[in-house]
Amino acid sequence: MNRETELVELCINAACKNRETVEKWRLQKRSLDRLPSHLADALLRRLITRRLLHPSLLEVFKHSAEEVDVKGDNSVDAEWMAYLGGFRHLLYLNIAECHRINSSALWPLTGMNSLKELDLSRCSKVNDAGINHILSVPNLEKLHISKTSVTAKGVKLLASLKNLSLLDLGGLPVDDASLASLQVLKNLQHIELWGSKISNEGAAVLNTFPKLTHLNIDWTSVTKLPNLSSLECLNMSNCTIDAILEDDKAPLTKLIFSGSTFLNEAGTLLYANTYNLSFLDLAHTGLDKFFFLSKMKVIEHLNLSSCMVDDNSVEMVACIGGKLKSLNLSGTWVSSAGVGILAGHVPNLEILSLSQTSVEDTALAFISLMPSLKVVDLSNTNIKGFLHPGGTDLDSLSLTALQNLKQLERLNLEHTQVTDEALFPLSSFQELRYLSLKSPSLSDISLYHLSSVPKLTKLSICDAVLTNCSLDKVKAPESLRLVDLRGCWLLTKDAILSFSRNHPQIEVRHELVTVLPFDENGRQHSSPSRLTSRTMQASRKKEQTSLSPYFVDQRMKYSRDELLALQFMSLPLASNSERDNSILEKQLD
Amino acid sequence: MKKEDTVKLISSDGFEFIVDKEAAMVSQTIRNMLTSPGSFAERQHGEVTFPEISTTILEKICQYFYWHLEFASGKDREFPIEPELTLELMMAANYLHT
Repeated sequence: MNRETELVELCINAACKNRETVEKWRLQKRSLDRLPSHLADALLRRLITRRLLHPSLLEVFKHSAEEVDVKGDNSVDAEWMAYLGGFRHLLYLNIAECHRINSSALWPLTGMNSLKELDLSRCSKVNDAGINHILSVPNLEKLHISKTSVTAKGVKLLASLKNLSLLDLGGLPVDDASLASLQVLKNLQHIELWGSKISNEGAAVLNTFPKLTHLNIDWTSVTKLPNLSSLECLNMSNCTIDAILEDDKAPLTKLIFSGSTFLNEAGTLLYANTYNLSFLDLAHTGLDKFFFLSKMKVIEHLNLSSCMVDDNSVEMVACIGGKLKSLNLSGTWVSSAGVGILAGHVPNLEILSLSQTSVEDTALAFISLMPSLKVVDLSNTNIKGFLHPGGTDLDSLSLTALQNLKQLERLNLEHTQVTDEALFPLSSFQELRYLSLKSPSLSDISLYHLSSVPKLTKLSICDAVLTNCSLDKVKAPESLRLVDLRGCWLLTKDAILSFSRNHPQIEVRHELVTVLPFDENGRQHSSPSRLTSRTMQASRKKEQTSLSPYFVDQRMKYSRDELLALQFMSLPLASNSERDNSILEKQLD
Repeated sequence: MKKEDTVKLISSDGFEFIVDKEAAMVSQTIRNMLTSPGSFAERQHGEVTFPEISTTILEKICQYFYWHLEFASGKDREFPIEPELTLELMMAANYLHT
């Protein structure tokens, strides 16, 4: 999709401001018919996101629009379809998840010669009768009907759509016989059959599709595949895998086997042509030998999460690390020493997950030798933030090592043992945008350190002992857009609301309130719960009278044990304040 | 104002707008016409005719050129667009690549 120029963008904004502005141009028929399709499509998209589109307004685009995407719009019904049927140049129609669409609503599609791609995914009222309407769209190349009510009988009918190159039949009861009847579709390149009823017998006919490059048979009982000589991408997650990819011809680039069981263990992948493989997902497969990795010299994305990877196997990964961009080793047996083996062999690694491993602070020095890292997940590890127990000087703060990572944007330290002092080095991370922390041993001091991270956009600091006072005083970075304070049980609703009044651009999450930011026009985005916005209005009124003139740091009043005892009282306290607010609302009403 | 520093933009109904070259070059299309080597007549005479753009729209386009130079970076003042003009202005902006 090409980006529109600035003035075009301003025009679209002005045109789609509200119902009145739409009325001003919708009768300019001559202009509308001349509108280049990419402008018509952009205007339509904006009307849809602003929820200004209705069936009769659709009609003005019938000579210009080429793409219509109303995915998930519950107002789309047979009337909309009646207008869409008249779109002469429509190439792409997406009505996925439009729950009011049923088979008869598809009737206007008959004879739409221009239509090349149709997405009906999850339209649960569409059944075999709907397929009959689709059959008369002669040039259809891509059809998505996953999770509809189409049966194996309906799928057989699709054999007459000779131009099909993509067919998404995910979640449909496709059986071996109906798959066999599709063999006449010689242009098929991409078939989605996840969750279907096909067995090895049905899978055996897959080699009659000469152009097949993409195949998804996730959650099926298929254990064997025939030789598929043009196959590039295979998703066979959650299957039991016996014999697949035995020829060495298929030019594989992407393989997904997460959650599958290999009957031949690591031997399965030994003979496949994986020289050009760029993506391999083996998460939760329980594999413990990885010698097959040695052929994958150009691999970019490798997921070995929850496999039996130990420090010795990491050497296999290090050997093919040259082009690696993302590596997931979460839930494995890799230790800090294993991370040391990787260091220096992964010059292009951007994303590294070591979540739920036993790595500790010594690993941070090794991680700092991976110069391209942008995203590091160290949640649920033994990271403490200190190299030596008891040391508090700057040199012993282990996170300092990560300062070498000049591109680090995202860091996850949830459920680690880091303390306030250990977070000090983060304040000078120039590119850090997303930071996740979750620990009851963090307090106001952490918030203070983090407030000077220059580009911080999303800060999650859950379960911490933050006080109202610090939230009031904190100087939030200008870039900050979201603060997640869930589990910070010491904060009160008033303090959070006052924070979001002072920082209207920041979305705040907390059990007591969810405050969404204000958009450019000063209007609040629709709030997920009506209650939230109403309580906000209510407490705004309250603020003028009841804002406490002084703050007391709660931690100075209570010992740690007393505070922990208070924690369990915070729930009834919260419901009390809810009640207060509802009384207040009644008065306001 | 020297003649070399200005350019004449002519609407479909023959109305002439004389604007600074710098402002007109906010449009990538006009910039190409005025700077690309070769014998573009536009480059020699410093005038461009737009048979598809009406006077009202071309006037708005010229206002936009100056608004862009002055405010676009800071965005402290909105560029007003009457909803009646949005469709035609959008097409002109698309053609002028601005």
